[in-house]
Amino acid sequence: MDLNLTSEQSLLREAAAKFGAAAGPKVARGWRGREPGFAPARLRQAGELGWLGILVPDAADGSGLGLTELALVLEQAGRGLACEPLGLAAVAAAALAQGHAPHPMLQRAMRGEALVVPALQESTHADDPLALRTRATGDRAPRLTGTKVSVCAGGADGFLVSAGSADGAELYYVSRDALGVHLKTASTVEGRSLATLKLKDTPADLVPPRQSSRSAVEALTDLCLIAVSAELLGVMAGAQELTFEYLRIRKQFGKPIGSFQALQHKAVDIYIKIETTRSLLYQVAAANDPYRIDPAQAVAVKAKASEDALSVTQACIQLHGAIGFTDEHDIGLYLKRALLLSSLFGNAAAQRRRYADIAELTM
Amino acid sequence: MFHHDSPEEAAFRTEVRTWLEANLPATLRGRTNRPPPAELMPWYRMLSRKGWIAPHWPKEHGGMGASLNEQIVMTEELARVGAPQLPAQGLNHIGPILIEFGTEAQKAKHLPPIIAGDVIWAQGYSEPGAGSDLASLATRATLDGDRFVVGGQKIWTTWGHHSDWMFALARTDPQAQPRQAGISFLLLDLHSPGVRVRPIRTIAGDDEFAEVFFDDVAVPAQNLVGKLNDGWRIANALLGHERLGTSNPQFALIALERIKTMARASGVMADPAFRDRLAAASINVTALLALFNHAVELTNRQRGLGPDSSIIKIFGSELLQSLNDLLIEAAGSEASMENPVPTAFGAVDVSTSFLQVRRATIYGGSSEIQRNIIARRVLNLPQ
Repeated sequence: MDLNLTSEQSLLREAAAKFGAAAGPKVARGWRGREPGFAPARLRQAGELGWLGILVPDAADGSGLGLTELALVLEQAGRGLACEPLGLAAVAAAALAQGHAPHPMLQRAMRGEALVVPALQESTHADDPLALRTRATGDRAPRLTGTKVSVCAGGADGFLVSAGSADGAELYYVSRDALGVHLKTASTVEGRSLATLKLKDTPADLVPPRQSSRSAVEALTDLCLIAVSAELLGVMAGAQELTFEYLRIRKQFGKPIGSFQALQHKAVDIYIKIETTRSLLYQVAAANDPYRIDPAQAVAVKAKASEDALSVTQACIQLHGAIGFTDEHDIGLYLKRALLLSSLFGNAAAQRRRYADIAELTM
Repeated sequence: MFHHDSPEEAAFRTEVRTWLEANLPATLRGRTNRPPPAELMPWYRMLSRKGWIAPHWPKEHGGMGASLNEQIVMTEELARVGAPQLPAQGLNHIGPILIEFGTEAQKAKHLPPIIAGDVIWAQGYSEPGAGSDLASLATRATLDGDRFVVGGQKIWTTWGHHSDWMFALARTDPQAQPRQAGISFLLLDLHSPGVRVRPIRTIAGDDEFAEVFFDDVAVPAQNLVGKLNDGWRIANALLGHERLGTSNPQFALIALERIKTMARASGVMADPAFRDRLAAASINVTALLALFNHAVELTNRQRGLGPDSSIIKIFGSELLQSLNDLLIEAAGSEASMENPVPTAFGAVDVSTSFLQVRRATIYGGSSEIQRNIIARRVLNLPQ
């Protein structure tokens, strides 16, 4: 189903589609196992296009746009399997911009000259973003001690770290080079690595919230959920295009396999999953201010996008048959990207647990 | 959640809510089965006298000429107060079809009694040998001077045994190829000689539908709607709009509340496995709300949904069924009780609701037929 886009939004989507197409599965394949697993020049290009500062208010030299624009760009990046972490960089920039005075890293982060990524998770299931074991001590010059897991640290110059302080959960900026920072990276099947970030009495800067009523940790968590979901939507859409094309050209029993009803109905189920995720994502994007996202809606989007992306990309492998199981064929790259993104910041099951609490599905 | 009423819509909502609370009889609220005409039609006529029976009809024909958003407000408020489903064949099907395709004489004769609730209509599409393959229908209408002679049988006719008139598809050219090109759209007086109606009891225990037999029934030629052999196009013309009307997420929201009540009463809400499935279903209800609002936005901008409207039919009806799976799970060993299950939070209708929703994935084109439509007309997969 068409989206209700303004002409500016349509142009933005076109530009992002070009950026995504310039990547594509062949390029993504080339980055496997390299560090960082993306092109820094393309991250700077995204910065020049205004996409990394897309949510950053005009007053802080950003593009001052909303979640719809963020989602349009990230969907296309996901569709092209772009390896540059546009989403994480863009939501980190939004977080850096939110205090009374923007953090000094903001300008470089917005231009793509430096990469700042969120480091929020403390457990593999990311259940409660505010129940933190990482501690912050010292008011004027905070220092952090704790461990973050599943951090997309490849090429990162700094991290946005959540930690418990005397005032509750707060967000801090930590430089990659700061004292007491220890990164342990491990590669993923997708090609890029995830890291465990250990902090020991590490100096950090407090990143204050935009509105005192909502913690900066919550705001950034919800932004991460929306950003990753938009990319997952694009991954599904890319896998769908490849698969439907195959259904039209692959012949068995003397006919294109896409003419068989059993496969047509599987194809329609893929399409319905993608379209319902798309409606949900863009309706939530249109209804929410980037800094005040309704957490139930953010969690619902990530739950659905994670579950559907895994199910859609698996079905796409099945529809390809044996060729889909080979490393040589591109369709496997979409499954692996879906596997990585669906697990970040809490997989579908973790989101459902949070949703049950937020929506009071309780006795 | 995704749509916020304009000040005018909000005022209209308040007006509707207040009036419904004051006027809808308690005995008609929260019924999972449609009440019989003797109970239901007085309520229909009350809405009619209020001027609210046909929000989507133009004012000149006795409707409200309401915007799509106002129509949705009306549907939501009716669902919220637990109003029973009205007979829809007149209001949602033949009414709009006659407004679009009928002659002035047909409009003048048939539209006012629909608005007033004096005449009940039935839809005559399905036949014993023509369900999903509707174009294979065999009921014949043979032109004989100034009348058609109709012979054959219709089935799954909702409220057939309570109806006065039927709009029907009949074969007027047995040789036509494709078969769709030999079908005409007729209006039949069910009180005519040669018409026999037999109610059919459903698995939900009601007699919602019937089969109707035609034995050389004479139908005046002026009861033809549109041109001869153009019936297929007319029957399909307004389907997209209909799907938007029947897929309002309000019904899923009501089902969700029913599950929560039952799950708290039975204690199963404390079970993490149940909570996980309920969370998944609730998230899908949110997705249905988003899908519906998206579809309304597109329709409001005059960009019809076309065959994409099948997505809402499939997703909404299958979700309603999975919600009812959770409802019977929450009810445990009381799932099969015929009457509503008494709980500390009020009685919850379990088995009737569960049985009723079987129909949702069958009527109006089964889920499988909807998937064929999407595969062919949206995804352009090879045939």
